Amino acid sequence: MATMRYHKLLAVLTSLLFLVTACTSNPPSRYESIQQETTQRGAPAAVAKEAEPGASFNKFFPKSSNGYQVVPAQEKAGFAEYKLNRDGKTLAMLSVSDTASLPAAAAKFQNSSLKIAGYPAFEQGSTATALLVSDRYQVKVLSRDPEFTAADRAAWLEKFNLSGLARLPQRPVSKLKEPAPSRPLQPVPAT
Amino acid sequence: MSKPIYELVDELPTGGLTVRALRTLDVVIPGQWDNVVGFDNTIRAVTHETDEALIQQIGERAVTLFNDKSQGYQRALWLYETVDSASGALGTAALANRIGQDTFLGFLKNLTPKPEKAQAIDLSVKLVAELVAFCQINGIPGDSMGDFLAALADYGGESLMRMAALVCFDGLVPLGPDFAAKALERLQQLTPSELEKNQTFKGIRQLIPGGNAAGQLGFISESFANTKGWMENFVASKHLTQGDILNKLTNFIEVSRDRVDYLGAFLDISVKYYRHTGIQTLARRLVERAVAEI
Repeated sequence: MATMRYHKLLAVLTSLLFLVTACTSNPPSRYESIQQETTQRGAPAAVAKEAEPGASFNKFFPKSSNGYQVVPAQEKAGFAEYKLNRDGKTLAMLSVSDTASLPAAAAKFQNSSLKIAGYPAFEQGSTATALLVSDRYQVKVLSRDPEFTAADRAAWLEKFNLSGLARLPQRPVSKLKEPAPSRPLQPVPAT
Repeated sequence: MSKPIYELVDELPTGGLTVRALRTLDVVIPGQWDNVVGFDNTIRAVTHETDEALIQQIGERAVTLFNDKSQGYQRALWLYETVDSASGALGTAALANRIGQDTFLGFLKNLTPKPEKAQAIDLSVKLVAELVAFCQINGIPGDSMGDFLAALADYGGESLMRMAALVCFDGLVPLGPDFAAKALERLQQLTPSELEKNQTFKGIRQLIPGGNAAGQLGFISESFANTKGWMENFVASKHLTQGDILNKLTNFIEVSRDRVDYLGAFLDISVKYYRHTGIQTLARRLVERAVAEI
């Protein structure tokens, strides 16, 4: 009798445990598959070996002038970024990146008829405008303040030394190896 | 292998001692820090984008960058986590033993305040951890030392909050108004072997430039001397006093003013502000790079 009661108690406890586990376990993250792909053995590097050092891009950024400060923010392999500040407020981010690491970033320009300063350009989401130099270097301006409009972004894109960037000797990309996102990157049109 | 970056950011607390201690500094740097937690929330807060497909793309690139060890983000995370846990390592055991058994003051009796020398080393090692983590996350941006210093001077948001907490909780509270001069003086008298015995230094020494302990001591002293002016100016320009900070902290921590010497030790073990704001900084920089690269 005591054994039966014990078994019943055990059954109730086990089902309770399942219930509690089911309630507390989080739903799978939307980033779980990219997490697995980029942590498994032999996962491709996030940045291509052939990517231009970020320091190579510094000289092509616009300079501080007329109350605008262009302040260095990040400089990594294949990437450089500056803040565009005025009166202590960040209005926008200015960046140059080497799409050798992420060919899908260059591919999105093929779907766009927009041109800025003669280069293929693309409006991405509601805060970014980009152009592509030499089919490889992406120059992007991202609004950080609602007053900094798409027209401002286009104007600041033109302030880069784009022809200088176009003359930057390109490190040959032997074989583009993309870090394989879980699905092909789809260009997101302007909203 | 670290936890996934999105889990680290999703699990950041919205309350508790660390967040409450940081909130006491809101008046010092008004409007600079709102405690953004959650990976997707961070993407929305940084980019102001709302399109879910775009948020997914940004998040996937950020996760990819974080998981590539050569990119330095995991080393920065390790620094932020280790510098907090190393400085509080001794006290945590005491806290674990006492909690739930005693009054707060009873617990405080079992804490020993750090000697001034140990506190000075902690302050300077934490400052150096910030410089090294900054370089791991951002590289060394710009073309000159002046560019690099401009990037540091442009600290805002959670990074500025971390520095405010460093100055207040690890400088002003335990060492008093002339904390920077006092700490530098202590550093200059320090021998490499004394430095090697410090818990906080031991925790992160492998990532501090300088080669051996003597070289690392040189790097720490030089970095401290270079940023001493910034810290003193921060305190002077905000009219910060030890009394002000203590008043704010005693509003939520049950402690009498005459136990001030213990408060620094308490903050050390229970307030993990480096890890908390460090993960926030890491997530923001990753998102900023990801949205620019995609």
